[in-house]
Amino acid sequence: MASDGQIVASGEWHPANSSLSVVARLTETSTGLAVERVPSGEILASGGLAGVQISPRVGSIPRRIDFADGSLFETTDNDAIDRLLARSGRRATGLVHKLERFHPRLIVLVVATFLMAGLVYRYALPVLVEVAVAVTPPVVPKIMSVSTLETMDRTMLSPSRLDAGKQREISAGFAKIAALSTRGAAGYSLNFRAGGAIGPNAFALPDGTLVLTDELVELADGDDEMIIGVLAHEIGHVELEHSLRQIYRAAGMAGLIMMIAGDVGSSVEDLLVQGGGLLALSYSRSAEEAADRHSVELMSKAGFDATAIARFFVLLENKLGDRSGTNMLSTHPGTPERRKAILDYESALRAKRQN
Amino acid sequence: MAINESAPLPAASEDWHRLSFTGSGKEYFGIWIVNILLTIITVGIYSAWAKVRRNRYFYGNTVLLGRGFEYHAKGMQILIGRIIVFGYLIIYNVLLTIVPLVGIALAALILVLLPWLVMRGLRFSARVTSYRNVRFNFVGGVGGAFLAFLVGPVLAVLTLGILTPLASRWTYRYIGNNMRYGTKAFTTDPGLGAIYKTWFLSALIILLGLLIIGFVVFINMSIVFAVIDNPQGIPPELQVPMIVMGVIGYLVVLLSFGIAALVYHAGLRNVAWSSTVFDGKHSLKSDLSRFGYVWVTLTNVLVTLLTLGLMRPWAAVRMARYVNTHTAVRFSGDVGEVFAIVQKDGSAVGAEFMDFEGFDFGF
Ligand SMILES: [Zn+2]
Repeated sequence: MASDGQIVASGEWHPANSSLSVVARLTETSTGLAVERVPSGEILASGGLAGVQISPRVGSIPRRIDFADGSLFETTDNDAIDRLLARSGRRATGLVHKLERFHPRLIVLVVATFLMAGLVYRYALPVLVEVAVAVTPPVVPKIMSVSTLETMDRTMLSPSRLDAGKQREISAGFAKIAALSTRGAAGYSLNFRAGGAIGPNAFALPDGTLVLTDELVELADGDDEMIIGVLAHEIGHVELEHSLRQIYRAAGMAGLIMMIAGDVGSSVEDLLVQGGGLLALSYSRSAEEAADRHSVELMSKAGFDATAIARFFVLLENKLGDRSGTNMLSTHPGTPERRKAILDYESALRAKRQN
Repeated sequence: MAINESAPLPAASEDWHRLSFTGSGKEYFGIWIVNILLTIITVGIYSAWAKVRRNRYFYGNTVLLGRGFEYHAKGMQILIGRIIVFGYLIIYNVLLTIVPLVGIALAALILVLLPWLVMRGLRFSARVTSYRNVRFNFVGGVGGAFLAFLVGPVLAVLTLGILTPLASRWTYRYIGNNMRYGTKAFTTDPGLGAIYKTWFLSALIILLGLLIIGFVVFINMSIVFAVIDNPQGIPPELQVPMIVMGVIGYLVVLLSFGIAALVYHAGLRNVAWSSTVFDGKHSLKSDLSRFGYVWVTLTNVLVTLLTLGLMRPWAAVRMARYVNTHTAVRFSGDVGEVFAIVQKDGSAVGAEFMDFEGFDFGF
């Protein structure tokens, strides 16, 4: 028996749970939909339009029409199914599919996406980072710091060759500023190391572990106050939780990219994570400037020369010839502007106190 | 109901039937950009539905014998899975702050939970995939997942990669021997020797990269000596070469490790798929050219980065096409009969099940 319906589309029909299919066509009858065998016209399945499930359109992949008895009609004629849905009063094509079709309108979507991504980067990421920093239990920076120092000790750093007297001298000066910091003297520990590949340097780990290299002490050439100034700058990084923020920033970037793009390809993903890791090693420019100001405040509170750290930049400029704006291999790009900013900030502070 | 005239399937032959990919970068572009935009606008919630559309597109365009695969997961199922994992992480973090000891216990629990989640993820992925109206299934247990996804990687890292082939073999055996199509089983047993052959090639590539770095350092000995002579600082005139050397070294390391990983991945896939048999007699085959695969991947990355991601849809389609056309199945006997047998077994998995994704196995 053949149905008297109007042919909608041709395709293949599967009985419930069967991988075997027969050539068939979908027809629209007065009571709904029917699938009939080609060419005999025998009715294989039928049902009211409300009782069948029609898969939403994605690109031009075949459409599934699932009948209540578990059988399946599949067709590649997407347009015919869309027309059927339109006739029956359902929305012809999903709104999403309409947006997705290749059309000049996509340019607007691309621009909108870039704008939104920019907004997320500018506004949402910093908020996420602040939330993450706020909820991070104190053990996390502790564990991070211990393992970072261990790795660095194993790869780049070696025990300090400074004599004990010099170490005591610097430690004593450091204790003075550490005592005046928010976390107090107990919040910090100063470690001396030979710098090896990282050369004259000082860095802070998020739990308050500070590392000072022999090379920096030698570079200072007896100017302990300048070293204390650099250490005050590192205290600034710890108090302002810069490294934790930086790590979350990198992790957040990687996470957002993965979530938003869904598939950027595993190789691109790896590259981005690598890049994020590199970025996490260096503080942003604004973080550096904030730490510089922290140094100025802490040093003047402790009765040292507030601009001692500026002398460090002079030294860098003269001895290492670092007059460049940024030095890509350095974690602390020494720039003439930063020195100027420090001097300006110090005189502003002094002016404020006198008023 | 008797099926007399079935839809045309190839007659009995010993031919390899290759997969193909029928999608296009142009078509996928729209799906991709709308996915991203809606994901941002809905604060990430849409990403679950985005995944469904993306997978439906790629599965649907993966064609074997004129018919595509199908992906049946619903956005809500994926969202629930993600919420559960996310919720666990939040509880974990809160507890770690308030009661550190409980947090540590929860961390230990993750170690047990992880294999379970991996198993659930594989099962979910298999069950929401169908071909010719019959669903796949995955019947692996937690123990196998523990061995393949925790013990294996740890062992590989601890032995500096020397035992990686062993870990890879565990993974492919776990997945390959527990996969079902309807009720019919896949079986696989990739040979350790064959995997090691691929591994040696990768090891050689890494070695070559290290040699190149050694050579660069050697011809720049003047800089190295300058650093040793004058540890207080590098003379300014040598700073630029120093930076260039650092950058070259980094690129060489990145490139040699990247290529080695890709070569290994392609070779491993060839070995594993080619040793897989469906229902005891139908063979699968993968014949990726290792360097072809490296070429496609690297140029994809380059094009994607140079176009700020805009060519990513094109790259994804190109990769899918490359991999599919290097994957084939050979049916022993009449193809129609193969599917008739699958039919007789009926459905192994009910179409209706409350399932959540657990651990996404996309990556
Ligand atoms: Zn700094």
